[in-house]
Amino acid sequence: MTRFLVKRIGMMIVTLFLIALLTFVLMHAVPGGPFTSDKQVSKAVMDALNEKYKLNDPLWKQFLDYMRGLVRFDLGPSFKYQGKTVNDFISNGLPYSAKLGAITLVFVLCASIPMGIISALRNGKWQDMLVMALATVGVTIPSFVIATGLIYFFSFKLGWTPVYGVDKWQGYILPVIAMGGYSVSFLARLMRSSLLDVMGQDYIRTARAKGISETRVILKHALRNALIPVITVLGPTVANLLTGSFVIEKIFAIPGMGGYFVNSVTQRDYTTIMGMTVFYAAFLIAMVFIVDLFYCLIDPRIKYD
Amino acid sequence: MQAASKWERVASGIGEADRLYSKPRSFAGDVWFRFRHKPTALLGLIIIAVLILFAVVGPFITPYGYDDQNTKFANIPAVLQVYPAPDGHWLYITKALKVVEVDEQGNLVQQLRKGKDDAANKVTVYPYGDGLTVTLDYSQTPAAIQDAEGNRISETKRLWNKTYLLGTDHLGRDILSRLMYGTRISLMVAFIAALVNMVIGIFYGGIAGYLGGRTDSIMMRIVDIISTIPLTLYVILIKVCLDDGLLSIIIALSSVYWVDMARVVRGQVLSLKNQEFVMAAQTIGSSTRTILTRHLIPNAMGPILVTVTMLIPSAIFMEAFMSFIGIGIAPPLASLGTMCNDATDALRTNPYQLFLPAIVICLIMFAFNFVGDGLRDALDPKLKK
Repeated sequence: MTRFLVKRIGMMIVTLFLIALLTFVLMHAVPGGPFTSDKQVSKAVMDALNEKYKLNDPLWKQFLDYMRGLVRFDLGPSFKYQGKTVNDFISNGLPYSAKLGAITLVFVLCASIPMGIISALRNGKWQDMLVMALATVGVTIPSFVIATGLIYFFSFKLGWTPVYGVDKWQGYILPVIAMGGYSVSFLARLMRSSLLDVMGQDYIRTARAKGISETRVILKHALRNALIPVITVLGPTVANLLTGSFVIEKIFAIPGMGGYFVNSVTQRDYTTIMGMTVFYAAFLIAMVFIVDLFYCLIDPRIKYD
Repeated sequence: MQAASKWERVASGIGEADRLYSKPRSFAGDVWFRFRHKPTALLGLIIIAVLILFAVVGPFITPYGYDDQNTKFANIPAVLQVYPAPDGHWLYITKALKVVEVDEQGNLVQQLRKGKDDAANKVTVYPYGDGLTVTLDYSQTPAAIQDAEGNRISETKRLWNKTYLLGTDHLGRDILSRLMYGTRISLMVAFIAALVNMVIGIFYGGIAGYLGGRTDSIMMRIVDIISTIPLTLYVILIKVCLDDGLLSIIIALSSVYWVDMARVVRGQVLSLKNQEFVMAAQTIGSSTRTILTRHLIPNAMGPILVTVTMLIPSAIFMEAFMSFIGIGIAPPLASLGTMCNDATDALRTNPYQLFLPAIVICLIMFAFNFVGDGLRDALDPKLKK
């Protein structure tokens, strides 16, 4: 276990380093500096700006500086907003994004797993057809289409939910559905096929032959094994929710990190793009790691080596 | 002699009983047979064919280009609710309270020029033809046309817009034409990106799988690291570094999505490479390249095709996603994502501008997903539960 932990944490650090390096290289491969814009800036101002943000240093030194900052969780200043740092953006946006993301994740789990179970247990019946039809729709329709459609019908036509903002709890309903739609569908399909697979196994027949009640067979023997593939994809699911949040936060005007990220991308605020990418990547890697750890709780057969 | 009349000798060899009544089918024929017996897959294929036709042939038929704009006819929907004009023509009131003259067939004639504006009573008088006038009453919503006595005309009629079959957007560009060009760009981006990803993935995975050993573990470790990186972020990042344009989107999409393909190909190659036909090829001294390109990859084509059909919708989705957050195709070029993005501001007043491109995106996604599912089931019927 300790060896596994050390190895995994080592891998995480290497990956993070590579991500930071890749991001750094990409951002510096951009033709023109970060201050190149339509506005003509005099050479003196340009030099002063370059001096201030240490852009005249050799690249390796800039990278070392950046890494030194990263280790101390300092992602540097924003190039476009005077006096703001990337950390400011993250600390402003993170509470909103985290809350929305957490609610969505809970929604995804609470909706998809029961949907998958019902669908598998009623295989071929109308419940199964309904769930699978919903899941197909959810997987194929892009989140921004779902989001705008929901706004149009529930906010404009019916007036049940606010159009934007999350001041009231009703404001969370539409963003959560739009953001989680894909993941709910995907996980429900996965849950269904995995449970169907498990239900055909010999040990389920054995359990039934022992005379255990069907509920117990499903909950105790089938579900626990069927959940493993679902847990495997939880990491990518979180990644999906996260990238989904860019659009959702933009559409619903939620002041989260996704909005800052999209803004920085369209305004080419290089340090912010860089910092946020590294932050997102670190977060995702940590999530995948946690998911891996969860394995041992649910399946004692999985050994860490 | 008795027996000879009762028992007849039948010629040996291929007789009636052994004849095959159906034509022998090749593997491809078998796949096609299973594929076309799945209604969703066939439907998907038909939708794709229609969409390709729409995107390729459409722009030659439509009289408008993707950037032909006529701001006089901006934000006009496909179905017009019209009021009678004094001379038998009809009048359509836009959401921005402009009055547009429409003829009996539904062709847009002109936007009426404003005459006297009586702001106090909230009416505007438009000169119309020879000495006639038309009065627009906007004191109540919806605004309406007044008759000669100053009463609101309640009699209206619905007309199909013949000039712009699906209406116009906020700059007065024909939505149908833009949909054609947009579908063309979206499909093109997706096809090229999928193709490039396929080629990279096949060679990367093929080499890793066939060579095995240390080469394999190093190459696959690289793939592992790449797949822990959130790909969407990197597509966005690469797109930011390149300039606006079609090529940069294709490069951005092509540079990251080959990872899945590489894994699939590697798995296939690993399971194939110890079979007899590979050994036979090795025995007669075929080079590694020949074995890979002539023996292994053609045999792994099934799963590769399935992965490609699944790659196309995700490429279309990514392109739409990037265009939607504003880093996609540069205007005035149309893609389905930019059309959706342009329409979000006017969602309340002109929802059709969003729903039309959204429907096309959904159709494409549905079609490719159906075809991919059908292809997977057809290629490997054992997988089907």
